[in-house]
Amino acid sequence: MALANLKGRVAWMFEDEDFDVDQIIGVKNIKIKDPDALAKLCLAAEEPGFADKVRPGDLLIGNHNFGYGHPHYPPMIGMRQLGIAGVIAESFSPGYWRGEIAMGFPQVACPGILTAVNRWDEVEIDWHSATLRNLTQATEMDFEPLSDGDRLMLEAGGIVGYLHAREEEEASQC
Amino acid sequence: MGYTIAEKILARVSDRETVHAGDEVLAKPDFVIAYDFPGYTDVIFRQMEEEFGIDKVAEPDRYALFIDHMVPAATTAEEELHEITRAWGRKNNVPVYERKGIGHQVAAELGYATPGAFVVHFDGHISQLGTFGTLAVGVRRHLLEAFVKERIKFKVPETVRIDITGALQPGVTARDLFHHIVRVLGPRSCRGMVMELGGLGIDAISLSGRQTITSLAMFTGAITAIINPDDKALAYIRERQRLDIDPLFSDEDAVYHARHSIDVTDLEPIAVIPPSPANTRDLSEVAGTEVQVGYLGSCASGRVEDLALAADVLDGHRVKDGFQLNVIPTSNEIMKEAAAQGILTRLIAAGAFISSSSCDYCFGRMGVMRDGQRAVSTGTLNVRGRMGSPDSEIYIVNAAAVAASAIEGRIADPRPYLKG
Repeated sequence: MALANLKGRVAWMFEDEDFDVDQIIGVKNIKIKDPDALAKLCLAAEEPGFADKVRPGDLLIGNHNFGYGHPHYPPMIGMRQLGIAGVIAESFSPGYWRGEIAMGFPQVACPGILTAVNRWDEVEIDWHSATLRNLTQATEMDFEPLSDGDRLMLEAGGIVGYLHAREEEEASQC
Repeated sequence: MGYTIAEKILARVSDRETVHAGDEVLAKPDFVIAYDFPGYTDVIFRQMEEEFGIDKVAEPDRYALFIDHMVPAATTAEEELHEITRAWGRKNNVPVYERKGIGHQVAAELGYATPGAFVVHFDGHISQLGTFGTLAVGVRRHLLEAFVKERIKFKVPETVRIDITGALQPGVTARDLFHHIVRVLGPRSCRGMVMELGGLGIDAISLSGRQTITSLAMFTGAITAIINPDDKALAYIRERQRLDIDPLFSDEDAVYHARHSIDVTDLEPIAVIPPSPANTRDLSEVAGTEVQVGYLGSCASGRVEDLALAADVLDGHRVKDGFQLNVIPTSNEIMKEAAAQGILTRLIAAGAFISSSSCDYCFGRMGVMRDGQRAVSTGTLNVRGRMGSPDSEIYIVNAAAVAASAIEGRIADPRPYLKG
């Protein structure tokens, strides 16, 4: 099962390095569990109406070490509820990366991304060739291929599906 | 070509002769550790049964559970969560350590920090077992894999080697040293890698101090930290270690992603200013800032030498009226030792409030701040809302500086209090 390419608009660019994702919904909202409530809070403080502008498949862009600090899951639960399909960043904090990959949420490490796209550009992530295409600007660039483990986890939609897939694989080898 | 200690440990647990950074291996963790927390352990237990039909783990001695958050329980929901954990432990024959202290410290006391072992937890501060030459990694939700499968898929990380030279001055601690590393090398200097520490400067630091440094590895972007075990570490752990394996050490010609040398001779007490663990400053830059709350404790700090240092500062002084100084020893063993040495009595006499060991003061469940309050803290983190209101602020400082600031009601350099 191959990972489906991502194709969507750049809905937001996080320009800060070492960005703490909890700020997306605000720390005071970090214990909220309802995905719809979280979705409405996403970037509401930065740009009222952000939630209404997002279309399913849209993507987020981040700077270096995206997810640094003490990342919690609710901000990206909210973003996924809005239809955000993945995050592309210069680089990621490993704790954040692991957490979101385990949720089956695509993350793409793509050095140079921040200066290669503008907000609302349409971009495509081609997993097979590890190429990012900026369809608006007609440019393309390489991104860092996923490790086998991360790829399998995204293909399976997260950690639970991945472990089922491993069980099936092991059973077929018996 | 040689290998790092991390590569050697991962080769051992993946039954290979050698592995290199970048290899993906199927590694069998020697120990799988977790504390109970809603959304983690309760979900793991449920998924094991409902999704994977696992009634019992195959090798219960490989697992350890700690109840150190929400201790004592303040709501029935918290007590119910603890009971889910205890019941799972009973059913699986897995030990549940409750009310013994903060698990990352107790895990060392109980010998899970076996030199040469590979340990996984969901929480990254488990990195502090690296003090004893254990490769201990916080894998977040991937921990489910270690509960469901014998082996986990793991990419062998690169290692950044940091040699520390020079000796710390009085009033400057391992806590300052760690944040100085973040200041010098940056918050992503070890991103995705292992931070290996060594050099004469590390040799000179106590095991407690090394636990402080390794516990905070994540703020350099590292997935863990490790120190090649010396006589001091081996002597501590020998009587406790749970596995009969030989310690492992990095080769002289091991291949590192980068090597750095940092001299700490002139290091002064630091303050990590809100709202990010990346913001290391000299304490002198923020000295005089009014503070109302002090927290001395956590898995990073709060060991006997931290408590003794705070008592040295406080001797002959009083905590300022209205200032809340909370002191929480990292484990019961530490509390017992601090009591035996008379340290707790000195802290109480100066006006400190002492609580039994718990994680609760570190993550904003106890000792919380209201809007506009400001704390000096030896907790792990200074992000917004970590100790209560998102409109409160946390300055991370060393144990002595927490005590000095408690006396003055403003951020204060502890060194004048430590002179003769």
